[in-house]
Amino acid sequence: MTDATDAIAVPNRRGSSWLILPGIIWMALFMVLPILMICYVSFWTQTTFNISSTPTLASWKQFFASDTYTGALWTTVRIWLIVLFTTFAIGYPTALFVGLFVKSKTLSTVLLVICVIPFWTSFLIRVLAWRPMLGKEGAINIILMKLHIISHPIEVLLFTELSVIIGMTQIYCVFMVGPIAFMLGRIDRNIIEAARDLGAGFGRIFWKIIFPLSLPGVIVGAIFVSVMVLGEFATSGALSGRKVNLLGNIIVTQVGSLKWAMASVTGVILTVVMGMVIAAFLRIVDLKQEL
Amino acid sequence: MESRVLKPILAVYVVAFILFLYGPFFVLTILSFQQGPDGGPQFPITEWSTYWYRQIFGLTPPSRIAPLPVGEALIRSLVLAFMTMVTSTVLGVMSAQAFRRKFRGSTFVFYLIVLGMMVPGVLTGLGTSLLANNVIGITRHWYTTAFATHVAYTFPFAFLVMLAILNRFDGSVEEASWSLGVTPWTTFRKVTFPLIFPGVLSAMLFAFTLSLDEFPRSLFAAGGSEDQTLPLAIYGTFSVEIHPNIFAFGVLTTLFSFALLSVYGILMGLSVRRARKMAMQEDIT
Repeated sequence: MTDATDAIAVPNRRGSSWLILPGIIWMALFMVLPILMICYVSFWTQTTFNISSTPTLASWKQFFASDTYTGALWTTVRIWLIVLFTTFAIGYPTALFVGLFVKSKTLSTVLLVICVIPFWTSFLIRVLAWRPMLGKEGAINIILMKLHIISHPIEVLLFTELSVIIGMTQIYCVFMVGPIAFMLGRIDRNIIEAARDLGAGFGRIFWKIIFPLSLPGVIVGAIFVSVMVLGEFATSGALSGRKVNLLGNIIVTQVGSLKWAMASVTGVILTVVMGMVIAAFLRIVDLKQEL
Repeated sequence: MESRVLKPILAVYVVAFILFLYGPFFVLTILSFQQGPDGGPQFPITEWSTYWYRQIFGLTPPSRIAPLPVGEALIRSLVLAFMTMVTSTVLGVMSAQAFRRKFRGSTFVFYLIVLGMMVPGVLTGLGTSLLANNVIGITRHWYTTAFATHVAYTFPFAFLVMLAILNRFDGSVEEASWSLGVTPWTTFRKVTFPLIFPGVLSAMLFAFTLSLDEFPRSLFAAGGSEDQTLPLAIYGTFSVEIHPNIFAFGVLTTLFSFALLSVYGILMGLSVRRARKMAMQEDIT
């Protein structure tokens, strides 16, 4: 049946199409329009405290001419790739246990709930809590010294790029665990049994069956982690002592000094990076089909 | 064979993983009982005390450390989260309802909505404040611009939850109702809504908690200090010296979240029990 005949045949019944309109309008006004606005303003003329709509490329040229700004772009990409890898590497074994090795449904639900509970603490306070963990006199150094593993406190733990990576990994790895565990839970155990009966070892079963079937979960997790890490600025600000500047940090400082045009240029670049990343991931897996 | 070796190893790993997740929270809880007002936000604990908890509630004599400016910010955040919850749940139910029939451009609309949970708050926040400042010329407030961006963020979550619920929904009860001449609106109210209510509760929970903790959108889209929401008030303490009061506050908000989760659990349990009771009555008659 085509849309038109369907609409005539069942008028006003379940889900008339007009119901979608408020949702579309809201997203158009408060998501699409703001992003278009950022693109538009990135070509505006910036004076010291003011901004006028005379079109210019000045801010764009300034962005690519400055090491601070292009550096922030590369730092963002680097930190994103590192955190993507660490969340995957740390999260996958957990997901493997929760989704595949735990036989009882209750236990795997309980484990997932345990993983989610930390999210009930405010995001900013969770970030801040890493400071007394990683500092020179922090928990990790104290424990390592008590165990006589180290004799001097490790100082690179806090206010470095490493602390940002540790903080982000902890905050975002659960977003990797959830989707992967979900996909692993859906694997038909008979397939694994069959492979085992045919004499395949665990390594072979993992690479030929388990990992490929969990790939959509990995991709969904990677999308979650990517969009959150790319748009970050609070963790990098709080744990690096302003040494690590991501694109998000640039936007915040530019807005703070009323440089709206430069903030917009950075915003457009962030949008482009984000768009490329999401598009690349969505080419691998169809999100709508996995629901 | 392999799983006999692998499973214990993975189990130990998962315990370590959970410790990694909870480590900061343990440290935060311990340090929240630091002696006050001179004890700093680091080890060692000079003396155990509840000073910082009392300070939050204004029960301590004034000291050089100002109490957290959270009172009004908390109320603003709760009201904002409530407004966001109601709006995005209504939008989510409506949109998911529309998606039960294929319509032209449904894939496009699906991605348009889902994009809302992916676009970073920095971008929607910045764009909205640009629009408000330079095009429309209105002042930004937590209950206008910030509210709009919050809903654009939480509505997709509500939408996905409702979509998942309605996908598994048996439409024949609705058809029965229509064929008895009940209007679509009454059918929705009396038949559909009670059946999808658990989903609605989950959507509400998602929207409320996401909005309550939402920070980047508020940072850009809310106005000045009279517009501070809770995360903004906490962020304000980042730039100055940190004191254990922020940790004590973190513990308190976590407990509040648990209370919220319990309410959700109780409501969920009640609605499931009611559904079971109705099903049993049907069996009898």
